[in-house]
Amino acid sequence: MAALGRAALLLSFGLAVYALVAGSLAARQKKRRLALSAQNALLSAFGTTLVAALVLWSALARRDLSFVYVAQHISKSLPTGYALSAFWGGQEGSLLLWLLILTAYSALAVFLNRRNRDLVVWTVPVLAGVATFFAFMLCFVSSPFETAAAPADGAGMVPSLQNPYMLAHPPLLYLGYVGLTIPFAFGMGALLSRRTDERWLVATRRWTLAAWTFLGVGQLLGAHWAYVEIGWGGYYAWDPVENAALMPWLAATAFLHSVMIQEKRGMLKVWNMVLVALAFNLSVFGTFLTRSGVVNSIHSFSQSPIGGWFLGFIVMCVVFSVGLIYWRLPLLRARTKLESLVSREATFLYNNLLLVALCLTILWGVTYPLLTQAVRGTTRSVSKPYYDFFLHSFGLPLLLLMGIGPLVAWRRASLRALGRTFFIPIVAAVITGAALIAVGLGSSTPGLLAYTFSAFVAASIVLEFTRGTRATGSLTKLVARNRRRYGGYLVHAAILLLAIGIAGSSAYQTVREKGLKQGQSMQVAGYTLTYESIGTTAEANAQATRAVVDVSRGGKHVATLHPGKNFYPVENQVSNEVSIYHDPRNLGDVFTIADGIDRNGTLFLKVLVKPLVNLVWAAGFVFVFGALVAMWPDAVEQRRLAVRYATT
Amino acid sequence: MTLALVLGSLLAVVAVVIVARPFLREPAPASDRLDELGELDRLRLTLAEERDRALAALKELEFDHRTGKVSDDDYRAQLGPLRQRAAEALRALEPRAEATREVPRLQRDAAR
Amino acid sequence: MIALSVAAVLALFIIYTSIAGAGTPQIQPSQLAAQHGDVMLVGTVVPGMSGDAHQGGLHFTLEDDGPANAARTHVLYTGSVPDLFKVGRHVVVEGTLRNGVFVAKPGSLVTKCPSKYTPAKT
Repeated sequence: MAALGRAALLLSFGLAVYALVAGSLAARQKKRRLALSAQNALLSAFGTTLVAALVLWSALARRDLSFVYVAQHISKSLPTGYALSAFWGGQEGSLLLWLLILTAYSALAVFLNRRNRDLVVWTVPVLAGVATFFAFMLCFVSSPFETAAAPADGAGMVPSLQNPYMLAHPPLLYLGYVGLTIPFAFGMGALLSRRTDERWLVATRRWTLAAWTFLGVGQLLGAHWAYVEIGWGGYYAWDPVENAALMPWLAATAFLHSVMIQEKRGMLKVWNMVLVALAFNLSVFGTFLTRSGVVNSIHSFSQSPIGGWFLGFIVMCVVFSVGLIYWRLPLLRARTKLESLVSREATFLYNNLLLVALCLTILWGVTYPLLTQAVRGTTRSVSKPYYDFFLHSFGLPLLLLMGIGPLVAWRRASLRALGRTFFIPIVAAVITGAALIAVGLGSSTPGLLAYTFSAFVAASIVLEFTRGTRATGSLTKLVARNRRRYGGYLVHAAILLLAIGIAGSSAYQTVREKGLKQGQSMQVAGYTLTYESIGTTAEANAQATRAVVDVSRGGKHVATLHPGKNFYPVENQVSNEVSIYHDPRNLGDVFTIADGIDRNGTLFLKVLVKPLVNLVWAAGFVFVFGALVAMWPDAVEQRRLAVRYATT
Repeated sequence: MTLALVLGSLLAVVAVVIVARPFLREPAPASDRLDELGELDRLRLTLAEERDRALAALKELEFDHRTGKVSDDDYRAQLGPLRQRAAEALRALEPRAEATREVPRLQRDAAR
Repeated sequence: MIALSVAAVLALFIIYTSIAGAGTPQIQPSQLAAQHGDVMLVGTVVPGMSGDAHQGGLHFTLEDDGPANAARTHVLYTGSVPDLFKVGRHVVVEGTLRNGVFVAKPGSLVTKCPSKYTPAKT
């Protein structure tokens, strides 16, 4: 069966190459049948890749240990759900997942736009080019279909990955990463076909939004997993692998907003091409970072076979994007100019600048070790203080802009109008700020600013909804008629929740660590935690040691927590099993880690009190809801677009 | 192993057929030229986008005015030029004398 | 307009790096002898651990990642030990070399993301 998988991938490679070459020829020489043939090749590549994927999935389900990949990532006793998810547990499988999603998306995008022949004829070779690279890697560099004599049992899956969040996190992220290829390909296709209209934006708007949503949710799931499973007390560590997903997301955020300006005013065309290329290139770079282990240690770069290839591909893509944009620059020149620095167009421009600045500083931070190694010979790295500084410097103004943007009028906002529309939000912010200082939360300046700005944004969003409802008569009618705008405001509300949650749980968290004997207590931020007892039980594949910790607040018992450790004999590993109390009163958590239990029975308990942290997770739900509203098809708008593009 | 061989060959054959299909269906077509957007069509498209943009801007101005984001003065100041732009866009697409009179009607349509 | 913003970003950046210092050096055990002061030691954990990170300190040994010179350093660590810490793991720990023993800053031990991210051994 492995042979079938290899054959299917070879076919995918062949089809991708054909689609690339024939597609480019057909586009240049305007050959209809050849163009159609290239299109068919790209669609068929999905079929062959799907066959390859099914072969791997069946091998995992059957626990066929003659597949080297299967033997490396599962064990015979692993539950089927996790065994199937081992598909993306390793490098080869995740490359196959990338190709599978890419070919699926490409097939769908090309099929939906098949009447837009002008544009599609150039989009096909671009998509095929990306597919060619991944197919090449899968066939000749990093194949999931290597076979060997089957060992007695597989290596098993790392225990911390046997978790529902880890089932969903990689595929969701990939649905996001790969999704950014579609708008990129259409954008480059538009440039190649010398079209100056916005068809490519209209065609890819929902793709971008969907990919961006997947990427955002995937990251939140990963953060939540890190929080409950890895359990160091945080959810984001500025690890290169985490940043790898954040960077394209930031670029895509900028792109999503910036295209609104092109749509309404015909401006920022160059920005949009650059942003979509940046988002795509960063998502490939992100995949490269995560899968090649290059930043962990410069030495793994040379050990990894894929590192060099990926780097070459990224360089090629960057050169292609920059070259093409530069070449077609005359086509992208806008006729309209920015009329005023105080206008909605201008706020979108500031938004772009801040998001890209944040994205680039993170990129700098991630590549700093590689660059210093190459230039100076010693590796230097940056860590949390660096990232925090720039997160505050760029993130806080971005937060504020979220509230300012919707309130400013197009073209030119008179200061008097601004004064009126800003009045209530500013009052809300000032009152909030004063109240927070009064209760002692002025200890952290970034935290205070975050909360104050959030009050401003919250007031602005509420005002938008109330004013809009008053003008249209009903809330549902308002949202139904302006799905993109009000869906967008809902997403802003989600980001707001996220910001408040992050500010609360980082700027205002309390951490304390103490060695407790049985019966002893410790005080943390108003909570009293008492170490009651300890015990060990045998679970399916682990020995679970748990301490019983009683939590009370103000003398009243609120929870019993069971932090501890698991020992996995098969994998010979110990994992921290944290225990968390979700306090409904402040939407925060009391996070306990049993750091160590010594022979005398002393428990080293680490306690983190994180106010408002549950808003971070709640934000995820609002985020998805808002994005769905914004994406929801609008019959009136569809009709209008159909009329506009009827002749093409 | 033979099953893999059979399936693999089947897959290859199907793929080749799908790729060759355009040539098999039309061995000798009247025209093999890819119909692309001509200059005139491109111009129409750009103008149509311009028209939709102008109408959308008008609709948004109305809405912003109704929700109080745009003051009465600013509204009056911007309404004229925007209507003018919309009329021009319409005229460019359909050069008729009545085109300018259609702006308010189209505005109402767009507002629905 | 754009140029101004870019300049502002760069200015912010330069201010930060000049104040906060240009990153902490990340070095391997073989380079440790030549270093002074606070560094981030990177390496792989070899068999042979003793002690307790919460009482007296955890003693373990780190080895160079590269195949060439397998230099080793003895590390003394106090503080939280991450889940994934075990023999064979690639770790990073911040601290200073003192009298032949690398004394780590409490709580600075970090293991890199799970093994699924490392390339397949060929």
